Amino acid sequence: MSRMSNLSRMSRLSGAKPRGALRASSLRDALHAEWTKLRTLPGTIWLVLAIAGLTVAVSAMSVAATTCLDAECGRDPAKVSLTGVYLGQAAVAILAVLAVSGEYSTGMVRVTFAAMPRRLTVFAAKAALVSGLTLLSGAVAVFGSVLIGRLVMPGKGFTVTHGYPPLSLADGPVLRAASGSALYLVLIALLSLGIATLVRESATAIGIVLGLLYLSPVIAQAVSDPHWHRRLERYTPMSAGLAVQATRNLANLPIGPWEGLGVLAAWAGGAVLVGGLALHLRDA
Amino acid sequence: MEAAIEVNGLRKRFGPTPALDGLSFAIEPGQVTGFVGPNGAGKSTTMRVILGLDAADEGTALIGGVPYRNLRHPLSHVGSLLDASALQPSRSARNHLLWLAHSQGLSARRVDEVVEQAGLRSAIRRKAGGYSLGMRQRLGIAAALLGDPPVLMLDEPFNGMDPEGIVWMRGFLRALSAQGRAVLVSSHLMSELQGAADHLVVVGRGRVIADASVAELIAAASGDRVALRTGARTQAMTVLANAGATVASTGPDTLTVSGLTAERVVALLNQNTVPFSEVSSHRATLEEAYMELTREAVEFRAASAVDGAEEVAR
Amino acid sequence: MSTTEITPYRSTVRPGRNGFAQLLRAEWTKLRTVRGWTIGLVIAVLLTVGLGVLVAVGGSIVCGSNPDGSDSKSGAACRQNPPLGPDGEAVSDSFYFVHQPLTGDGSITVRVTSLTGLYSTHGAIQPDAGTAGLTPGTQPWTKAGIIIKQNTTQGSAYAAMAVTGSNGVRMQYNYSHDIAGDSGTATATSPQWLRLTRSGDTVSGYDSRDGVHWTQVGTATLAGLPSTVQVGLFTTSPGYTVTSDSFGGGSSTGGPTLGTGTFDNVALQSSSPAGAWTGSAIGDDSARALSMAQNEQFQQTDGTFTVTGSGDIAPAGGQGPGAQRAAEESLVGVFAGLIAVIVVAAMFITAEYRRGLIRITLAASPRRGRMLAAKTTVIGVVAFVTGLIAAAVALPLGNHMAYNHGTYVLPIPATTELRLIVGTAAMFAVVAVLALAVGTLFRRSTAAVTLVIVAIVLPYILAVAEVLPGGTAQWLTRLTPAAAFAVQQSLVPYPQVTATYTPANGYFPLSPWAGFGVLCAYAAVALGLAFLRLRRRDA
Repeated sequence: MSRMSNLSRMSRLSGAKPRGALRASSLRDALHAEWTKLRTLPGTIWLVLAIAGLTVAVSAMSVAATTCLDAECGRDPAKVSLTGVYLGQAAVAILAVLAVSGEYSTGMVRVTFAAMPRRLTVFAAKAALVSGLTLLSGAVAVFGSVLIGRLVMPGKGFTVTHGYPPLSLADGPVLRAASGSALYLVLIALLSLGIATLVRESATAIGIVLGLLYLSPVIAQAVSDPHWHRRLERYTPMSAGLAVQATRNLANLPIGPWEGLGVLAAWAGGAVLVGGLALHLRDA
Repeated sequence: MEAAIEVNGLRKRFGPTPALDGLSFAIEPGQVTGFVGPNGAGKSTTMRVILGLDAADEGTALIGGVPYRNLRHPLSHVGSLLDASALQPSRSARNHLLWLAHSQGLSARRVDEVVEQAGLRSAIRRKAGGYSLGMRQRLGIAAALLGDPPVLMLDEPFNGMDPEGIVWMRGFLRALSAQGRAVLVSSHLMSELQGAADHLVVVGRGRVIADASVAELIAAASGDRVALRTGARTQAMTVLANAGATVASTGPDTLTVSGLTAERVVALLNQNTVPFSEVSSHRATLEEAYMELTREAVEFRAASAVDGAEEVAR
Repeated sequence: MSTTEITPYRSTVRPGRNGFAQLLRAEWTKLRTVRGWTIGLVIAVLLTVGLGVLVAVGGSIVCGSNPDGSDSKSGAACRQNPPLGPDGEAVSDSFYFVHQPLTGDGSITVRVTSLTGLYSTHGAIQPDAGTAGLTPGTQPWTKAGIIIKQNTTQGSAYAAMAVTGSNGVRMQYNYSHDIAGDSGTATATSPQWLRLTRSGDTVSGYDSRDGVHWTQVGTATLAGLPSTVQVGLFTTSPGYTVTSDSFGGGSSTGGPTLGTGTFDNVALQSSSPAGAWTGSAIGDDSARALSMAQNEQFQQTDGTFTVTGSGDIAPAGGQGPGAQRAAEESLVGVFAGLIAVIVVAAMFITAEYRRGLIRITLAASPRRGRMLAAKTTVIGVVAFVTGLIAAAVALPLGNHMAYNHGTYVLPIPATTELRLIVGTAAMFAVVAVLALAVGTLFRRSTAAVTLVIVAIVLPYILAVAEVLPGGTAQWLTRLTPAAAFAVQQSLVPYPQVTATYTPANGYFPLSPWAGFGVLCAYAAVALGLAFLRLRRRDA
């Protein structure tokens, strides 16, 4: 129903407005249409809740399992309290993959492109909405995780006498770790969106995304050569991207925090580019 | 002799909505039974219950006296086509039939036979995903015929068929019933069944509204009305009313007469020298018979929709 | 009416026997006729083998480089093969040995009056540094005692009785065997008496508090022991490690150690006359005990022997010199292979739900439990074969290539190799069944695939990449489906070897088949729920 009204509004607009306004409004309409679609997909609300819930839950478990027995016990409290991102990203990947492949599996994509022939506009609208939802949910997740760390960790030996002031977002590196983690989730959403657009089949897409993310630490663990180990940690999406969570021992990191997130951004950008290109060139 | 399919007192609710509300009917061998009713009347649900796919809250559905789930090789008892699009698109049409044949212990040769029967030979090695809806219907028919069953149950098989295909399908269904098979065909378009069905089970709101032969239904819907075209309308009305008929004016020079046969009308008009240009017995189409029967169901739905809208408005 | 003369139609086709076999055949036809799924399974094999090979040859090993770079070696030239024990396993065999030949049957008896030790807290010690800067203290498995050994070659058969730093008296033989004796230590006031007797291939160990009342600790059969063997006193002390959990992985610090044992009342009984005692450092590899060898020696004054040694006589457990790795590291690609199998297995059922094909399937085989059983069997067997091919190629190929590239691959018995391959194949099968069951429960591929991947791979990452501290890692690899990776463990933990027994180092908390059982339990529960849901819900 809402698509119909959008359609009619679009045709009205195209008759009434000059070309520039049409372009702007077609993106706005695409956003509106995609938002209605995403919002009325039954899984969306659960996934948005899952991103925050799973992240906070795993973070809480990780915080509960970590103790610091003596001064400078070698742990990074910000990173420990943000461990949940390891799981939260799986929910992000599902959200992004379903936003795309759900349309292909039902053939609805033809309806979408019949209503909005500018495919890249549709793609941009989808990307913006999925990113926005992820950012929203990710921000809640990250804030909750840091809050749990702040409340619980002093009782687990992360005290000022051991060299650990309570976690605070006013602290530059902690703020970087927290905001970087939320951005990390957004970039994972874009990476997944790009891959899903390229692959179309949801099960395959999610397999590729999760393989790309989760395999790198497993393989890095098995590679004995320190150079290759380091390269894997520097250039694979998850290992590099999660460098942004580090607040201590930055000199020993394989890659700097923002540089690491930059590597992930390159992966996400590449995936979006290839996905967009495929969307543009292929038959729907 | 046991009925080919016997459905007794089926009830099923989806949430608060009753989908089947005490549905009962039986279909016999050697005829095509049309299973008709408006959208949402419960036709597909009934077929799913017959096939053991959905469980009824109450009532039984038997194939030759046996619940479907107890059949050993079900496809050699009932062949069914529920949804022609239920296919793995990347599997070839032939392989689709092949796994189905294997599930019944049938050989690949049987697959080739039904492919031939359904007229699909030239396209059978193509991926099913590339099939048009009409071809998918033929593929579904081929699948239903795999076990060479005495009972066939087809849900909307005319959907997506071109006129040539519809003609082929009608002939095909007739040929199958002529072999002594019981054929149950659902449709929401009566015109599709005209000339194909011998018997009709009409459902509405989860209940059987009518269960009769096509001839009986048409006769009932036609009544004994006679259409009359005459330039002397008032004169004709007087003559016929005096003879005990109910006469209604339907146009400037047309009347509808009930209570008298066409022969009697002609005789009366001639006796009284009333001029007329045409007298015809009114014979209802299957469509009209169906509309007549389902009017109540449809009206109810429309009315309740209005009620609902009013409630929302309030 | 019109139906009076109708003869009901009788089916002319003769279906085959109503067996489970035909359902299996139907499901197999379904699986093999979707090209994407076949490709997915081939990809599973290629990923498993490819990543295994990549990890085996990835990077280069460089060693022995001089400051001018002239003499640097790389690749296979760097490989240092550790000594192999009588059973073919890699062993540590370094100690100081005060010995003489023994021909035929005989026995040796000693009294141990003290065992002391020194250790370095700052890693390797400099050449010629002596014992300067070392901290006093024995290690739990510092050993001083008597030994009967085939010869002075590393890895040869032996049986020994020894006093240990904190594990009491032990009888040990052929590296992996360890039997506890008296639980006390050896001091001047409370010495320990030890005795070994040889009779043919059999060596028996005894201990005593007073040299009068003897207790037999154990008996070792050393197959093929030659007539003349070396007998004598020994001391050795393994390096110590302190592992601390820290961000981004555990770090280990440690250093070499030294043990000194004092012996008297040395009595050798033999048919041939006793000879003079010779002192030898067994094991002369350069890395041995991080140059602690400079302190190894023995002194004999009157009947009292003081023997100082460093090293260990035990299974190697991946702690030998040079680049070493456990055999299962060639199976790292299994993770990728599993992901591909999970995708195919989940789609095997979810694709039917998505298209409504499940209704045709259930119309053709109305007994839903049998249908699910057939599907489970087919996907399980297919995944098993996929895993079997993948593991049977990846394991030997990867290890062969790693060896040729300079990494010593710890040898494993044929039975262990078989367990690794078959266990990996079984893991493929059960993971596929789990994915199928979860797919049946959810009816949606994306959720099912994600859940199974996350359940299997994420705990492993959190445990092995040591994002979480050690204790949590142990529980993760005990309670989650990732416990199944224990089936790939080739290293054997030994109580008599001090090492970091964590999943990250290749040691899982559960035994191989118990860990695999955890995965099976998950799959069984999921399958049970899938069955209930399939039976209760409308299709």
